[in-house]
Amino acid sequence: MSSQVGQQIRGAGKKPILSYHNVMKRFGNFTALNGVSLDIYSGEVVCFIGPSGSGKSTMLRGTNALDPFDEGQVFLDGSPLPTSENEARHLRRRMGMVFQNFELFPHRTALENVMIGPVTVLGTSKDQAAKAALKLLDKVGLADKTQNYPANLSGGQQQRVAIARALAMEPELLLFDEPTSALDPETIGEVLNVMKTLADEGRTMIVVTHEMNFAKRVADWVVVFERGQVVEQGPPEQIFDDPHTERTRNFLSHLGWHG
Amino acid sequence: MKLEWSVVWEYRWLLAEGVLVTIGLTIVTMAIAVPGGIILALMRLSKSRFLSGFSLCFVELFRNIPLILVVYWAFYVMPIFVGIELSAFATGITALALNVSAYNAETFRAGINSIRQGQVQAGLALGMSRFQVLREIVLPQAFRRIMPILASTWVSLFKDTSLVSVIAVGDLAHNALMVRSQTFRVLEMLTAMALIYWALGYPQAKLADWIRKKFEVKE
Amino acid sequence: MGAPFSLRVNFVELDFSPIFESWRFLANGLLVTIQLAILCCIASLAFGILGGIGRVYGGWVLKGIITFYVDTMRSIPVLVVIVWIYFALPLVSGYSLPPFWSAFLAITIHVAAYVIEITRAGIESIRPGQVRAAQALGMSHWQILREVVLPQALIRVLPSIGSIVSVTIKDIAIASVIAVPEYMKQSETLAAQSFHPIEVFTFAMFVYFCILFPTTRLIDRLYRRLAHLGQS
Repeated sequence: MSSQVGQQIRGAGKKPILSYHNVMKRFGNFTALNGVSLDIYSGEVVCFIGPSGSGKSTMLRGTNALDPFDEGQVFLDGSPLPTSENEARHLRRRMGMVFQNFELFPHRTALENVMIGPVTVLGTSKDQAAKAALKLLDKVGLADKTQNYPANLSGGQQQRVAIARALAMEPELLLFDEPTSALDPETIGEVLNVMKTLADEGRTMIVVTHEMNFAKRVADWVVVFERGQVVEQGPPEQIFDDPHTERTRNFLSHLGWHG
Repeated sequence: MKLEWSVVWEYRWLLAEGVLVTIGLTIVTMAIAVPGGIILALMRLSKSRFLSGFSLCFVELFRNIPLILVVYWAFYVMPIFVGIELSAFATGITALALNVSAYNAETFRAGINSIRQGQVQAGLALGMSRFQVLREIVLPQAFRRIMPILASTWVSLFKDTSLVSVIAVGDLAHNALMVRSQTFRVLEMLTAMALIYWALGYPQAKLADWIRKKFEVKE
Repeated sequence: MGAPFSLRVNFVELDFSPIFESWRFLANGLLVTIQLAILCCIASLAFGILGGIGRVYGGWVLKGIITFYVDTMRSIPVLVVIVWIYFALPLVSGYSLPPFWSAFLAITIHVAAYVIEITRAGIESIRPGQVRAAQALGMSHWQILREVVLPQALIRVLPSIGSIVSVTIKDIAIASVIAVPEYMKQSETLAAQSFHPIEVFTFAMFVYFCILFPTTRLIDRLYRRLAHLGQS
């Protein structure tokens, strides 16, 4: 397959930070992931695209063991993903996750939401955590909303706080689970801009998204999922301008994508 | 300590009679308090400020007074103040019905209010009268929300009937306490009383849970 | 007394002077009611919240025991619990408790069962996504419960906690049957001694209303101010 060619060029001389080998996941009778193998390299922005229910989000939740995979192996920096809950907690500190529905903690202010991870999990002092949180909120453009409770923030603002919350743990890897799907169209842009900034800093990001323009513009690597399998993967130019498989073409044309 | 459980068997008919009175109190009270609650709820929702004000005062008053005080009040005050003299049973029913009607009124009002205004407008747009809209559209939908609360009110009422024992209505609690003071078999009679209430109340509580699950509104 | 069903309103006999003359006696009763209410509320909230956590996160044995306890208290009248604890428990345990502490124990046992149910419902109403988000930050089970789940759950159930306070105060009136000198008991005594039950009991209604109505309203208002902190 030609994607293999791309992968060789892409991976030349580097070891992947994340490496999936034939992972499977079932929910009852439904097979959510059916043998996915995939490498992700440090500093890359990888976008997972594909129809709803194709397994993209399941990949993310398996990666930080919120919903562990049933079969197959995943290597993070060369060592296998832990299986026990206790080890999984250590794993999750290394990965930040941003959810579709933000999942900010409603009883905490924006600032406290960003502080809560370092303070409770890493044992950082409140002063230090607050300083870092202020910086992060400034970075996502919310320096003036630090004392607001989530209920008093727009969807886009909440999602930016959620990104700051994930960054506060200084993760090696950021996981975005459809971060703009629950947003009003007018606030999608502000979230995508923040994500673009993070990408430009060279952070490693896995983004499950329906925003094809974002994927094309920002991604280093795009993976197309369908029915729990990888249909095609490659650089965005290949996926969007010259898809090699019929199923990728079908998926994109259903979205009304014409190159 | 020597226990004589035979005392429970000896007085079985008195206890059985008490059980019947307890059940009777529950059924009769609910039979009054459901229509009573509906009427109070409709008064509350009516356009008349007098009716809705009266209903509001009635409901808030009886929801914010201990039932045992209402029982005493119905027993000592009502006959003199209002000039109605009733049997102990009827007095007990009156006190319970005043209390439960107030709670039911809130249940019905909340149930009716939970139906979106659009549903009412859709009914009116079809040319239905307000009463028809209430009967055909609002109440059937509100039923799902009302039933579980009525069921748990029923369970509370069943227990609360024990409070009328203080005015010598011959319910289970009264009869058991009476036997206790006559025979001095305190532990036996009080434990028997608790067990009988438990045996009667437990299935009702479970039934109320079942109704709540069955009618749970998923949103 | 009038003939059956004849309506006769008799204002002439109303005489509230016994209430004013014995205000200290009634005020003491009110004080006992309030003391008992505060003690019972604190104890049943503490006990009930712990029980509620056990009910949700415990093993099947613990869950079974707690469920059985809750359902038992839902099916036995509080009057029966009070009377049993005061009269029967000493025969079993060998220790007799004074009426005040019997009432405290009985009402706490009874009310805590309701607090358990409320806490359980509150915890179960928190969206799973909130727990996932906390997990994704690497929090432990205990941290998630303490920092994320419990604070939101308790805010959400504030209105129910309000009704628990109201239920407690009403249950305390039932403790009059074991002669706890709380407000209901004092009113009964005064009504009997003064031969003015109308005035005394009507005044008691007024007093209870003046305590219970603002209490529930206050908690409702507090909830409205805090509600957004529990909405995820």
